[in-house]
Parts: sequence; structure tokens; C-alpha cells
Amino acid sequence: MIGAATWRAMLGATPLQALSAALLAIFAVLVAVPELIAPQSPLAIDLSRALEPPSSAHWFGTDDVGRDLFARVIHATRITLGLVAGALLLAAVLGASLGLVAGFAGGAVDLVAGRLVDVVLTFPPIIAGVVITGILGPGAGNLVLALAIVYTPLFFRIARSGALAESRRSYVEAARALGFGEVSILLRQVTPNVLPLVMLQYVVLFPLALQIEAALGFLGLGVAPPTPDWGSILEQGKNFILVAWWISLWPGLFLLASAFAVMVFGRVLQRRLGVA
Amino acid sequence: MLRFLVTRLASACFAALLSSFVVFLLMRAVPGDIVAQMLGQSGSDRAAEQALRGFFGLDQPIHRQFLDWLGQVVQGDLGRSWYQGKRVTLLIADAFGVTFEVATATLLLATLIGVPLGVIAGIYEGTRLDAAIQAFNLVGLSAPVFWVGLMLLVGASAFLAWSPPFAYASPSEDLGDNIAIVVLPVLSLALLQAAAYSHFVRDCMIGELRRDYVKAAIAKGLSPAQIYFKHALRNILIPLVTFMGLILIQILGGTVVIESLFSLPGLGRLILSGIQGRDYPVVQGALLFVVLVAILINFTVDLLYGMIDPRLRP
Repeated sequence: MIGAATWRAMLGATPLQALSAALLAIFAVLVAVPELIAPQSPLAIDLSRALEPPSSAHWFGTDDVGRDLFARVIHATRITLGLVAGALLLAAVLGASLGLVAGFAGGAVDLVAGRLVDVVLTFPPIIAGVVITGILGPGAGNLVLALAIVYTPLFFRIARSGALAESRRSYVEAARALGFGEVSILLRQVTPNVLPLVMLQYVVLFPLALQIEAALGFLGLGVAPPTPDWGSILEQGKNFILVAWWISLWPGLFLLASAFAVMVFGRVLQRRLGVA
Repeated sequence: MLRFLVTRLASACFAALLSSFVVFLLMRAVPGDIVAQMLGQSGSDRAAEQALRGFFGLDQPIHRQFLDWLGQVVQGDLGRSWYQGKRVTLLIADAFGVTFEVATATLLLATLIGVPLGVIAGIYEGTRLDAAIQAFNLVGLSAPVFWVGLMLLVGASAFLAWSPPFAYASPSEDLGDNIAIVVLPVLSLALLQAAAYSHFVRDCMIGELRRDYVKAAIAKGLSPAQIYFKHALRNILIPLVTFMGLILIQILGGTVVIESLFSLPGLGRLILSGIQGRDYPVVQGALLFVVLVAILINFTVDLLYGMIDPRLRP
């Protein structure tokens, strides 16, 4: 007697997980080859076709200067997700390295790094993001910098507590007794054991960072206008919301779908690693 | 416990001080201060530039400016806005009234929706009902708050032929208009936070129902209602209170975006317009205020611990 539920359990996939996997595959394609899916130019202006609702010619409609929204939203996938992925990678490398050293070495390094991290954490993430991009000015570079600064502390904390726990384990003591240097123990023994936690943190933080990226874009603090980015398209759509809802609908749906897919993936990972 | 509270408060205040200084530095480190904005591109008038810098105190060394500002702050004076000339404390008080209204209404609504949903999902773990609630949670957590706001605007206009008034009215000016203008922002924020609550409460509930005392209670013959509400729910109160603090801080952040969308003159808008105009006293004052509110929320959460769980009392 093997029912549908058993099959699902054996495959390890609930409907939500299957949906998330499918969405992840679709987004991977959109990031890799957007021009194959949407051959139209995301930048070509055609004022004679401004604010057209969705049709067979323009599946997602057109914006206020007649650009094809399908092309813009599809091409934005790589830019938006790429910016978030890059910013988080920067935060992960910086935060994890600092955290590993702070947790393993302790002492003054730990104290100073800990206080610096506290400074960033005094602000809700979105406010820190607004302050940084607001002061430095809009643009992709500053957006990445802001997101990296906001999320570095969270990687720091995970890596620090991981390294702290590992440094008390007997294998570290054994390595010391065998005459390995501290740097070598940190790099070769402790780091590989903490790395999975850092990677998990990356996946868990991704949907949150995506929301902040979109919010900053929506406030006009993100990617500069002609470049397609989900948050920036939403900012543009805000002014036409009651006459052209379609400008705002699609980028929001794509944001929702990608955040959803990564979130479900993160939960599966958490369960696999036994941290949930 | 008391020592713990004091240490935490002290380290939080230290962080607030340090973060004020960082913001102070950051704003002055980038080109384009208020003087440059006032004089515009044509501003080649050296004398006028000097005079204005002197007027705003921008000709002083940075540490001097910071100490002057700090000296005022300690006396409860956040200075005056460089644009409007009004006291920053008054601007913050007005703006916070708006943000406070939105935040408390959101917290209330999110709690009323999220907690019961989470409890139900936890009790009926693994059923279709649980799956539906989980799907709601995931969608709520994934949907950008401001996008939900935009879609609510579209929906209200298309299906109800209704749109909120343009100008903000305080509850004392016009209660009807006030409710009409805050209802959509509150709904958009509450969806996300209700989902966060429900997700969290579900996990807590499931964890609690697997504990040994629940088995003992079942064996003792207690009714399910007694087990769920008298035992399990009571035990998840502590994590719930911590989470409420987190949510409140999240809402505070969320208002920045939602206020800009719905033209609410709250704290978020004050910070945003202050940054854009390089109105340093407003930005510094408002940010310090936000940080202090966050510290206060965390402190209250710590205090509530002791009230809920006598074991944690000093």
C-alpha cells in the first residue's frame, strides 16, 4: 500500500516544494538567457504605444514611454537578482571572515568587531538601507554597498557563534596538541565546519535582501531609471497606478515568486541541516 | 536579571551613540551639503558660501560639530530644521504621531490574524488546513509590502470605486478621513506581519505539543482545549513576546516605504526628505529617535519576560 502521500514523502517534495523547484528553474533560465524569452528590447521607446494594456503584441502591456513591459520585467530578473546575489556574497565573505576570526580568536578583535556590528544592527534594515543609499546617492554600486553593509552583521553573528562553538571542540585541542598553527586550524579545520551555516544564512537572507532591494528601488534610491529593475519599474508604475495597473502588477509578482521560491528552498535546507 | 538588563541597556545606548556618530560622519563625508544645494550650480560666490557655512556651523571641525550636537541632545534639544526652521523635537513628535497610529493598528491587526492562524496550523499540523495556512504565510512573507499597497489601491478603485483621500488628516481633525487614509497602509503592513506571526507561532506550537508534559496531560485525561490553551499557548508566550518586539521594529522600518507610497507625513517621510534635502539636524534627530524607540522596545520585551515567567524575575 503506497499512497500518494507516501510517494510525496519518498520524493521529499510537498506541492509547495515542487512549485518552488519549478520557479527556481524558470528564474535560472530568465537569468541565463533573457533575450531568448523576451527578444524585444527592454529599452526601446515608442511614444505612440504608451500605457497600452496587456495584449498579444505586448503581453505585459507598455509603460508611460511605450517600452514593452514583458521585455523589461524579464530582463530585470538578471539585474535585480544579480544585484542581491552580489551584495549578499560581499556581505557573506566580509561578515563570515570577520566572524570566524572574532569567534575563534576572541579578545580585542571580537570586542571591536562586535561593537561595529551592533552599530549597524541598531537600525531596522530598511532604514539603514535608506540612510546609506540616500546619503551616497542612487545607483547600482551604492545599492550593492548598502545591502552589503546591512547584511554583513548577520553573517558575522552566524560565523562568530559557529567558530566559537567549534573552537571549544576536542578536535581543535587535538590539532593544537599535534602542533598545528592557529591560522592553519582556523582555515583548515574550523572554517569548513562553519561554512554550511554561512551558506544556509545566505539562502535564508536572500528573500529579505530582495525585499529591501526592491523597496529602495521603489523609493527611487536604487538602479538608475532606464535600466530595468523590478523595484525601479514599480517606482515608475506608482505614478500611473490608477490608469495603468499593469506596470506595477508584473514586477511585484516576479518579486513575490522569486522570494517565495528561495524561501521554500531555504526551509528545505534548514531541515536537511537540522537547524530548524 | 537586573544586572543583565542594565548591561544590555548600556551597550545599546553605546551603540546608539556610535551610530549617531557614524551617520554624522557619513553625511558630512559626501559632497553636496545644504550650502551647495542652496547656492546651486552658479554658487561661485565665495563670500556667501563662507557666510552660510559659518551660519550652519559647517566651518567647524567635525568632532566639534558632533560634540556641540551631543551637548544639545543631552539637554533634550535636537536643534532646528535647516529648511523649515521648526524645532526638530516638534517635527519628530508630529511625525511620530502618524507612524505610531499606523504601527499600533498594524500590530493589533497582525496579532489578531496571525496568532490564531499559527495556533490552528500548529494544532492541525500536516492537514490540508495547515498546508493552506502555510501557503498564506509564504505568500505574505514574499509579497513586497509596497506592492501589496499598490494592488490594494487598484483593487479598491476597481471593485469598490473608492480611493483614499490625498491629504493627511489627523484623528482629531477628521476621524473619518484619518481612518480612510490609514486603512490601506495598515492592511498592507499587516499582511506581511500576520504571515510572520502565523509562521512563528505555528513552529512554536508544534514544538510545544511534542513535549513530554503534553503527553502527560493527555494521559491524565485533560481535554484538548485545556492542553492547547491552558498549557501549550501559555508556554509559547515568552517567545511570542520577543517576537512581538521584533515585529514592532520591523513595522517601524516598513512604515518608511509605505508612508512614501500613501503620502503619510510620518517618521519615514521625515527621514527620507531630510536626507534628500541634506537637512542634517532632522536626519540625525529622527534617526536617533528611531534607534531609541527600538532600544526601548527591546528593553520592554526584557522586562515582560520577568512578568510572564517568574523564574526569570530578579
